[in-house]
Amino acid sequence: MDYKHTFWHKLRTGHLWLQYCPACARYVFYPRERCPHCWEAQLDWQPLSGMGRIYSYTVVRVSALPEFQPPYIYALVELDEGVRLATNIEDCPLESIQVGMPVRIKMINREGHEALPVFVPA
Amino acid sequence: MGRGEAIISGISELAPVMDAGGRRTLDFLAEAAALAVKDAGLGKDDIDGLLVTPPSEDTYILWPSQVAEYLQLTPVFMNMVELGGASAVAAGARAKLTVEAGICRHCLCLSGGVWDAQGFNTRANKTAVMSQAEIDYELPYGPMGFNSGYALIARRHMHQYGTTPEQLAKIAVDQRINALANPQALFNTQPLTIQAVLDSKVIVDPLHLLEIVRPCSGAAAVVVSRSDRGHDWPHHPVDILGFGEAYTHNSISYAPQLSQSPVKMAAQRAFQMTGRTPGDIDLVSLYDCYTITVLITLEDAGFCPKGAGGRFVADTDLTYKGDLPCNTHGGQLSCGQASFAGGMSHVIEVVRQLRGEAGPRQVRKNRLALVNGNGGVMSTQSCLILERK
Repeated sequence: MDYKHTFWHKLRTGHLWLQYCPACARYVFYPRERCPHCWEAQLDWQPLSGMGRIYSYTVVRVSALPEFQPPYIYALVELDEGVRLATNIEDCPLESIQVGMPVRIKMINREGHEALPVFVPA
Repeated sequence: MGRGEAIISGISELAPVMDAGGRRTLDFLAEAAALAVKDAGLGKDDIDGLLVTPPSEDTYILWPSQVAEYLQLTPVFMNMVELGGASAVAAGARAKLTVEAGICRHCLCLSGGVWDAQGFNTRANKTAVMSQAEIDYELPYGPMGFNSGYALIARRHMHQYGTTPEQLAKIAVDQRINALANPQALFNTQPLTIQAVLDSKVIVDPLHLLEIVRPCSGAAAVVVSRSDRGHDWPHHPVDILGFGEAYTHNSISYAPQLSQSPVKMAAQRAFQMTGRTPGDIDLVSLYDCYTITVLITLEDAGFCPKGAGGRFVADTDLTYKGDLPCNTHGGQLSCGQASFAGGMSHVIEVVRQLRGEAGPRQVRKNRLALVNGNGGVMSTQSCLILERK
């Protein structure tokens, strides 16, 4: 199963889908062939709410990647379902960002990704 | 054979340099090897174990074999230790195991590397240290390698515990005082102030330039030997009393939590193995790729309660003159990070201190020390407890 392709493809629905392990009832991120929690091989895909909170963030002031013009916000978001993922926070003034701030998902089109999930203030 | 029979008999550390002058990792390792074996009062033919950290160059294949060939060593046991910044400390733990198992008599631990000025802060430089999962699911968002990972930790710690930029800066300031007494340190001419740290450029908020390690070139080595009664060592032998390790994640995105690290378990295991407590420790040498690394390590190793690290570093003199001397060589923040030898510098400084050979920065109480090696983004942890015999 091409789980990488499935992950990116399903984002085009406008929702974030993650692998879910029926055996141990836990979400799996990043996508992989086998559940890292209980090592069962059977994983389903489920849509998530797309709601979460900023677990931590950094404002990048010096960038080594030409396509990323500073300043921008690189963050870890903790989804309501308990999964944590790296992302950008957009549509958010730098001075108003805070750890714990509620955010919701937004799909953007960015180089090589037709639907890339970022987060905006909820 | 058993606990406490492995000693550090020899050490060496080349002065870190910004310009390697065309020398390769192997060249640096060979110089460090020669110096450490001499320091132990041994000859090349006495070395029967070899542990090496990876090279800066791409030629990883059969790396221990490449090193052994260059040095014309024929060990009975060898291996590469790759745990990122924890590699050098972990090599010490593995050397202890092989020596105490009776496999080796004298195990040479080598680390070092060459800094590539051309590749610094480029895409290739950032992706070279990323896993495939990081490339697939993090790179689309513009992470800045280790810098952004530690920035996330610092920000979370500040949010949870009210830790301040001033408190973090104090760590860099105290370590610079130490470096001023270390002729080998890369940055040892200018004292630092908290204000100077805070005035330095913000690279990844909340981390300033002067809170981030400076890559450079160099090498360091230790010889771990079986302690034999009656053997006349040229320097005071230092016991590798015990060690502890812990591993919880690779990318910081998947760490169980940000403001507490696996140092907690690694240190607990080291204290348990040795029957010692943080209160017994005279000095510490803690991996310092960033100021926040030191603060979290002090908390997790048990030198202050969780969350109190900010106040603790502000109120504690961490210099060689202080109550809890920490990174008395100046740490990597002031000495530079000579690739994998950056982690070895922490071991070597403690050995100098325990031997009583630290010169102008010699600490008063020098019987028992804790060393921590940290790799990734607080991902891989190895602690050693060393004691003057």
